[in-house]
Amino acid sequence: MSRIFITGMGLISAIGDSVEENRISLQHGRSGIGDIQFYQTAHAGKLPSAEVKYSTEELNKKIFGRRNPTITRTSLLALHAAGEAIEDSGLTKEAIHSPDTALVGATTVGGMCLTDELYHDANAKGGGTPYLSSYDYASVTMAMQERFGISGEISTINTACSSSANSILYGARLIRHGFARRVIVGGAESLAKFTINGFNALNILSSKPCAPFDRDRSGLNLGEGAAFLVLEREEDLKGKKSYAILSGFGNKNDAYHPSSNSPEGLGPFLSMKEALESSGLNERDINYINAHGTGTENNDETESRAMIRLFEKVPPFSSTKSFTGHTLGAAGAVEAVYSILSLVHQELYPSLSFQNPIPETGLIPVLQFIKKPMQHIMSNSFGFGGNCSTLIFSKT
Amino acid sequence: METADLKRQLKEQIIHFLNLTTVKPEDIKDDEPLFGEGLGLDSIDSIELIVLLSREYGINIQDPKEGRKILSDINTMVDFIEKNRTK
Amino acid sequence: MAYFHLPVCISPQNSFPEVDLYQIRESKNNLLEVMEPAYPGIPAAARRRMGKSVRMAVGAALPILEKFPQPDGIIIATANGGMEDCIKFLNQIVEYNEGLLTPANFVQSTSNAAASQIALVTKNHNYNITHVHRGLAFENALMDTMMLLKENKDAGYLLGSTDVISAYNYNIDRNAGCFRDELILNTHLFQSKAKGTIPGEGAFMVMMNNQKMGASAGLNSVKTIHSIDPLTILKTLEKFLSENFMPGEWPDLLLTGEDGDERLLPYIDIVESSMDKCVPVARFKHFCGDYCTASSFACWISMQIFETGTIPELLIKKRGATKPVRKILIYNNFRGAQHAFILVSAV
Repeated sequence: MSRIFITGMGLISAIGDSVEENRISLQHGRSGIGDIQFYQTAHAGKLPSAEVKYSTEELNKKIFGRRNPTITRTSLLALHAAGEAIEDSGLTKEAIHSPDTALVGATTVGGMCLTDELYHDANAKGGGTPYLSSYDYASVTMAMQERFGISGEISTINTACSSSANSILYGARLIRHGFARRVIVGGAESLAKFTINGFNALNILSSKPCAPFDRDRSGLNLGEGAAFLVLEREEDLKGKKSYAILSGFGNKNDAYHPSSNSPEGLGPFLSMKEALESSGLNERDINYINAHGTGTENNDETESRAMIRLFEKVPPFSSTKSFTGHTLGAAGAVEAVYSILSLVHQELYPSLSFQNPIPETGLIPVLQFIKKPMQHIMSNSFGFGGNCSTLIFSKT
Repeated sequence: METADLKRQLKEQIIHFLNLTTVKPEDIKDDEPLFGEGLGLDSIDSIELIVLLSREYGINIQDPKEGRKILSDINTMVDFIEKNRTK
Repeated sequence: MAYFHLPVCISPQNSFPEVDLYQIRESKNNLLEVMEPAYPGIPAAARRRMGKSVRMAVGAALPILEKFPQPDGIIIATANGGMEDCIKFLNQIVEYNEGLLTPANFVQSTSNAAASQIALVTKNHNYNITHVHRGLAFENALMDTMMLLKENKDAGYLLGSTDVISAYNYNIDRNAGCFRDELILNTHLFQSKAKGTIPGEGAFMVMMNNQKMGASAGLNSVKTIHSIDPLTILKTLEKFLSENFMPGEWPDLLLTGEDGDERLLPYIDIVESSMDKCVPVARFKHFCGDYCTASSFACWISMQIFETGTIPELLIKKRGATKPVRKILIYNNFRGAQHAFILVSAV
């Protein structure tokens, strides 16, 4: 079976509007978590979040050079990141428009970041706003399809917080089965009253910057952003630059509770195990894990238990959510890009705000920026509804 | 309000709030645990009940751990409502 | 070829538990709504957390899961799954001004709720995914399942779709001009030319594996395309036909997603006219209404046609050669921009 290579990456998050800017922030331990500046919510200033440091108007100008009244912030973030990925991969216009090029997006709020407009339209309070066809999840992928002129297979996936890990593995399978020669895969998410209030109602948002895997962690911070990757077949590379190989993936369900992991982390364990098996690697081969690590009481302890169960000696791990917050539907793709950066540059980025290990598990994440030779990196994404996915990237 | 009436009203509110369509007020025993065994409620329900206490009785519980004690059964809830209600 | 087994469809028509496609249930107030069955199999504790779309999905899945208790994966398509709970939560946000809110609607609003509730009720830890790509969500779920069955030859997967008319998506789509303004019955949907259709809903569940024995139908091929240009659709169709038929060979039936919206007619016309004259044409959206995953209803109808050996009279638009229906080409078009060809065949 032909190997799948990553030939382009694009990323916008609270710590930078390009892959390179993100890398610099990660190297210097600069977190993007802070007070909400742009989004209008009663929780601004109270619940720290990781906001992309551009207003929606500025994003519109960056991408279209003008206002664009039907496109949502989520779509703008997607267009920004995908644009960077496509340019980075050096895909020709011909290749992008070819029916051989597929697109798989992912999001959990789609256009629902426009809470007030949606409230107006959904409750039929007067004539429609310009956003009537921009609320659903597919609207984000459709905006990309139109903007880039994609004519191949297209899907949008929503498996909550593992959405874009699944868009990556679905895209890879489209290539393997001959539905496409190349795919643009990833996810996008923007801050929304919907998610801020939803997670807040569940008492899992922290009033401090999140502290993944810390004994006294008090919840997650929401973030926003988008990341897209270009995947291509080995036989099409022909000397073209590539960053890494997608060497394995797993998708399993925890089947325990709608909004929390089973105490022993069965779903996370099965997902990591399946990814290892599909890559043909041994647990000793994994040099680093970019953990899901949200900073909630439930996730970090159950993910730790799953890692301890699978690995004889748990490899170095960290949670980059301490920089970007939890970007939900974008998180899998954002962290895939960080994992690949770690492989390409042979460097590891720290987990921030960690002080004491969880007594029951005793695991300590990577706490400093370090250089380290590595061959294989694992990235975890777990979501509500028990949707657990794991990706493995390997050095070219 | 008499304690017995309050109990009846609270049970009806719980059924409505948690969408317990197959449960009748008389099915809920005053001293039966609401969580785990008994009604089999879970962590999401405990948050729902905290919101119920706030909206219906003007009681704000800040610490969810404290909430879990108050929400043990109908007796503990009613006892707490009678002492703390602001509406 | 992948095979469909034990199809179950909960629809606005007589499709569950008994099937009768020789009578048509009429729409009410321009809506084709599902009459929900009793769902005795759904545990009460789980049911109280289910919105209509999840309830229909789980209700349709359970009879299949009785026979195949542990599928190797659950693949669900839904474009608006959870929308009802989404807006309930949104209304809370606005009405309580982001104050103290109840989280249950939020947890139920995620569109993976159907797939995850089925996993939860049956303790299924296998592959689990939810495709939400609007009018092509179901086609992607089909392709996902086809790929899984090539990856794991002996496996079996639960594939399904669910979408409902909520007051909210109805309001949004109506304002967007998707629906007929005038009062109309589904039985008269094709008699007047006007903009707009009537909304519908439904859930479809089926077991898919590589076993021909006992199957309701085979799935030959799926092709999707995003375009507003009828000629692009024609080219895609020609390529699809050349890949799936010998020269001079045609499908035994063309089943289209004509929905009464005159804006879709250029696409429907070009697909119909590219067929040989002897190919009969049928349509299905006056039965199920228009919704994002309506092509799953077309797949289900195809299985009924194979099973009974006849095309229900009420579906027929144009008669053709009277020969047994072995291969059905489904052409669906969602609001002019998303198109799909699905080829299914009798076993």
